[in-house]
Amino acid sequence: MKLQLPEDDLVACVACGLCLPACPTYRVTGLEIASPRGRIAAMQAVQLGGAPIDAEFTAAMDACLVCRGCEVACPSSVPFGHLMEAARATLQPRRPAQRRFAEWLGYRLVLPHHGLLLALTWLLAVAQRLRLVPNRFGLPRLSFRSLRTPLDADAHPDVFLFTGCVMDAWQREVHRAALTVMRATGARPGLPGVHGGCCGALHLHAGLDDQARALAKQVIASLPPEGPVVVDSAGCGAAMKDYGRLLDTDGARAFSARVRDFSEWLAEQAPLPLRPSGTTVVVQDPCHLRHVQHAEHAVRTVLRGGYQLVEIDDDGLCCGAGGAYSVTEPSLSAAVRARKVDAIRAAAGDGPFVVASANPGCAMHLAAAGLTVQHPAELVEEALP
Amino acid sequence: MNRVIEVDVEARVAWVEPGVLNLDLSRMVTHLGLHYAPDPSSQQACTIGGNVATNAGGPHCLAAGVTSSHILALDIVLADGSVARLGGLEPDVPGLDLRGCFVGSEGTMGIATRIAVRLQPNPPCVRTLLLDFMSIDAAAATVSAIIAAGIVPSALEMMDARITRAVEDYVRAGYPRDAEAVLLAELDGLPAGVEAAVAVVDRVGREHGARTVRVAADAAERALLWKGRKSAFGAIARIAPDYYLHDAVVPRTRLVEVLHQVYEIAAAHELIVVNVFHAGDGNLHPILVFDARDPGIWDRVHAAGDAIVRACVAAGGVLSGEHGIGLEKRDLMPLVFNVDDLDAQARLRDAFDPDGRANPQKVLPRGSRCGETMRVPEGAWV
Repeated sequence: MKLQLPEDDLVACVACGLCLPACPTYRVTGLEIASPRGRIAAMQAVQLGGAPIDAEFTAAMDACLVCRGCEVACPSSVPFGHLMEAARATLQPRRPAQRRFAEWLGYRLVLPHHGLLLALTWLLAVAQRLRLVPNRFGLPRLSFRSLRTPLDADAHPDVFLFTGCVMDAWQREVHRAALTVMRATGARPGLPGVHGGCCGALHLHAGLDDQARALAKQVIASLPPEGPVVVDSAGCGAAMKDYGRLLDTDGARAFSARVRDFSEWLAEQAPLPLRPSGTTVVVQDPCHLRHVQHAEHAVRTVLRGGYQLVEIDDDGLCCGAGGAYSVTEPSLSAAVRARKVDAIRAAAGDGPFVVASANPGCAMHLAAAGLTVQHPAELVEEALP
Repeated sequence: MNRVIEVDVEARVAWVEPGVLNLDLSRMVTHLGLHYAPDPSSQQACTIGGNVATNAGGPHCLAAGVTSSHILALDIVLADGSVARLGGLEPDVPGLDLRGCFVGSEGTMGIATRIAVRLQPNPPCVRTLLLDFMSIDAAAATVSAIIAAGIVPSALEMMDARITRAVEDYVRAGYPRDAEAVLLAELDGLPAGVEAAVAVVDRVGREHGARTVRVAADAAERALLWKGRKSAFGAIARIAPDYYLHDAVVPRTRLVEVLHQVYEIAAAHELIVVNVFHAGDGNLHPILVFDARDPGIWDRVHAAGDAIVRACVAAGGVLSGEHGIGLEKRDLMPLVFNVDDLDAQARLRDAFDPDGRANPQKVLPRGSRCGETMRVPEGAWV
């Protein structure tokens, strides 16, 4: 078994170390192997130096959040996220059977089959009523009514809202808010057709390339060939903007060019008049919105009219959610989150506040730490006159 | 060991642990109108402890002085486990300046566990100027001329053509891609004085052939220009995947000729060299840029590096400005110190650490102690 990473990308790291402070796992551990530079050195040692792929190497790769904060900090623009995804793809067949079974259940069986995911969500909602789901999971209160009520699409749509998998099951209210706001601008939002479910982002992070590609093709096929595709989950939006590279076809590149984060799209429309409220909103930038999509300013643009916005002074360091990371690496994830929560509370000062987060994973992870978190779409909807 | 223990705003002193990041410290006190002045280019990644060990410099050390000028006191642990406080917060600490010995000793005298640093008030007015030139000589001559005109900028940095282009590819701060060299000059202080100094730098620059002199319009533009300068080392991979960074100091008046030599040495070894450095205090950072996968490349890199250091010393310079001696330059120490100098340094070190346990084998070459050469190791056949 060998790593087969693009060699020019791999040697493009000059080991200057400017990425270290931008790395959440390095910040909480202080360990070189938990930094981007250390991880690249490990990849180089395996691919170029003949070091073995052992448990230590695998653990080093797994401990990365793939937040990609290091990419923005890198003056040589080393494509770290793609290197990490490729390294994990190589590791995938070597995973222990137990883990592969869990991944098969989650990534292969449930996420791509939306009906099954919704059925499980009903069960989860019942379990929640029976107090069988601890609050520390950060699961939002699942509403039977919301699960019963499908989203409405407009006739002759001129823009589409991507609904995804987990988000549609657990946070459909965010989609409803997004649709309301989109209509308020005068747009006629449509929805994906059948199979317009999972975008494959989690599969790609886990190194399951083939499934990610298959899901990407399904998503593209589920939407008409023209009109902006609005995504209200930053992680999904980042993955969908990268379909062009993933599938390497003109069709995929054209699709990726149509993808917009919700706030990014809204900021391009005529400004909506909002009712100013005195509410303090701390803006949390999901990594894949800030470091990958570079669309974090749009969130401020769309919220500014209605809220007192407060910035967090931590250069957009990750909150520790990282897709499935909070499940696979719970202790590091919690340590990273503790740092984030401190920064958020320090920024908010005394008095009540709401955290705005454009990514469902971050929202749940931060809610589990006791913060009140809302999606920008919900905040804009509440401030509509 | 990464906590800021206390900040005394009135005394402008902070007690910190050595793992605190340099930039984090300044950011933590910025709301108090203060900052920690030494700002190595790596300041977002380097620690105060590391800065103390190497007596680090940085762009703004031209006017503010290097790390040692900003360290008031240190709590240290010696190699035998005893603890001591060196220096103090009083304006004139009685006794020998052991604090001054410890700063820059590269860990060879003990371990610092708490460090009292001086904090500086943020200047009321700051202007950052970007001057670009069509020759390295013109830029280097401008550096000397600015200082000769009686202006000591808070920072005066130079970048050559290749590194300027690499940096611009990353930051897009508007660095001119076609210039042979750029100077980044910063002036701070009271508004009237700063404006007068800006006029002098502008005039001197143009007299020496500056094509344009751009004054950053606001804090954002200034920050972007600095981000470019401070990212320079990291942007090297845009030229080639590996680099070997040198650090030497030459008298400012000899910058032009030494820079010529540096480019000639690199050419003779068929290597690319880029220069980005603290021009104001003559602290050169020639960076040899190469691809480590080329066979035999390391021999050429080391030979060129050695020649560059020797050229700097021959011009009246010293081995290291701020990166330290460590192992790399240990055996070059006799270039600048005679036997007596080395012996004195070795005995000073022995006073802190007689068994040589703290960062052993570093800085001082074998045989530094005069007595050492006379001691016949056990079992040796003489």
